[in-house]
Amino acid sequence: MKISVQQYAKSLFDSVTDKSEKELKLVLKNFVVLLGRNRELNKAKEIINIFTELWNKSHGEITAELVSARELGPTARELVVNYLKERTNAKKVILEEKINKKLIGGFVLRYDNKVVDASVKTSLEELRNKISN
Amino acid sequence: MSTTKDFIIEQLKSEISGYKAEISEKSVGKVLKVSDGIALVSGLAEAMMSEILMFKTEKGEVAGVALNLEENQVGVIILGDYTAIKEGDEVRATKRILEVPVGEAMIGRVVNPLGEPMDGKGKIETTKFYPIEKIAPGVITRDPVKQPVQTGIKAIDAMIPIGRGQRELIIGDRQLGKTAIAIDTIINQKGQNMKCIYVAIGQKESKIANIVSKLTEAGAMEYTTVVLAGASTSASLLYIAPYSGCAMAEYFLDKGEDVLVVYDDLSKHAVSYREISLLLRRPPGREAYPGDVFYLHSRLLERACKLNKDFGGGSITALPIIETQAGDLSAYIPTNVISITDGQIFLEPDLFYKGNRPAVNAGLSVSRVGSSAQIKAMKKVAGKMRLEAAQYRELAAFAQFGSDLDSETKKKLDRGQRLYEVFKQDQYQPLSVAKQVLIYYVLINGFMDDVPVDKVREFENALYKYADLNDASLKAINEKKEITPEIEELIKNLVSDYKATLDYLIK
Repeated sequence: MKISVQQYAKSLFDSVTDKSEKELKLVLKNFVVLLGRNRELNKAKEIINIFTELWNKSHGEITAELVSARELGPTARELVVNYLKERTNAKKVILEEKINKKLIGGFVLRYDNKVVDASVKTSLEELRNKISN
Repeated sequence: MSTTKDFIIEQLKSEISGYKAEISEKSVGKVLKVSDGIALVSGLAEAMMSEILMFKTEKGEVAGVALNLEENQVGVIILGDYTAIKEGDEVRATKRILEVPVGEAMIGRVVNPLGEPMDGKGKIETTKFYPIEKIAPGVITRDPVKQPVQTGIKAIDAMIPIGRGQRELIIGDRQLGKTAIAIDTIINQKGQNMKCIYVAIGQKESKIANIVSKLTEAGAMEYTTVVLAGASTSASLLYIAPYSGCAMAEYFLDKGEDVLVVYDDLSKHAVSYREISLLLRRPPGREAYPGDVFYLHSRLLERACKLNKDFGGGSITALPIIETQAGDLSAYIPTNVISITDGQIFLEPDLFYKGNRPAVNAGLSVSRVGSSAQIKAMKKVAGKMRLEAAQYRELAAFAQFGSDLDSETKKKLDRGQRLYEVFKQDQYQPLSVAKQVLIYYVLINGFMDDVPVDKVREFENALYKYADLNDASLKAINEKKEITPEIEELIKNLVSDYKATLDYLIK
């Protein structure tokens, strides 16, 4: 039977938990050998993605993308981080911040298949749709 | 002038200041792959089955429906312009199951399967939406079929009666007048307290334009909605068309009204579903149709029903149409739909080319609901007539060989020939029940035996006109709905008076 990407990532995650650094090296080497033997090295990227998700989940970490028109001040950032902590029960939030002038104002927050779109650009678009319809 | 301008500007300002863009958390995914009308989307962990998903594209939002929920991705059929969608586009879940606008405003309109107008008559103002997929009414809510749907077609109303809430299949090869039967039935529903919905699936738009103009001409658009998914429409819209037509019918059903829905035709519907299924990589089965093609039609036709008084007493009558290839009834889709429906009207090329139109094969066509959906008068004449028709069919095959026939046989053959002549009927000329009862009564009681076969249709048409002028008998049939001795007397007098005026009968 074919092993799915999900299964690879899960087993990798299981085998690296509670391992010393030396053991870790061995596990990883073996894992790559296994992938090579099964000719599935091309799936490495997907496996890494899912592995990251699993890792973040178990360690209470969450990565989120925050796009804003201008750089956020510390209080605003604090608000976003708290919001994320509240919504996802995460202990640690890794915020990837990006600046996009096209948003005009506000921000777009992406995490976990979710989007909070509070940009001026989108609300203007919605206003346009509402008027033109 | 300036006051109106100021007023408009003031209004606009207050609208804009009052407008607040709603900011909420949305569940999103990304397009992985787009192919003919199908998209694979990653993410969207909370997507529901047949939920509306919006694709954010450069040309505005495009709607889609979730049809496959898999471990890591969602298979979506795209209802709009799929060429606008690119890989990596954002897809937003709406938490709404696919639904169509319903209401009185839909009547008299031509709409697409999403309920948007196609006839250029402006926006349709409705407030209600119905989901296009709904579980059919259960046993407790139903009643047996007992009121007739008058198709206005002599051969059908007498031999294959259709009741309100029945599902009667119209089946036959191309170009034999399947649609004509359905359209005649719609035209004949005028003043019969019936709403009609005609669902065109994969039909030529020129044909639909023709039908709509004929319906308008006959005044039938006053109670009819046309749901149009033309031949150039994508498979996804063809697939949802009958369900959205049914949803529109269910609105009237819930109001306790009677509705007639024509699905023209379900073989093209099955083909479009096959296309979608194959693109979604569902395994093909017989004739490459997916495994659930039976359920595809059974769940649709099961929604046709007659509700009992406690549930409003409305009904949905379904007239699905199936096109066969070279008369092959044992193909996959025809056998499926025959087994789902409560009977079928089978059209035959031989009859059609001999000039027997509508080309209804009286032997193979059945109505499982039967005579409980006929008025008493019709029951009385139709019973005897059906027997005569059957005897004639048997004898006609046999009589081709021998020339010497006894007088009894000859009489039956003569009667049968006249009967088949009476079955002939022109398109767009539906006939009222009273007139049908009249002509059958005249025939089975031998008043027509002295009319030459080639004069039968002439005799018949003039008889209707004559009866219209002296309307006592027709009126009596319409009122009493059965044949009492007095009415019998009336008819006899009418016919003998009428026959006295015909020069070809006076020798």
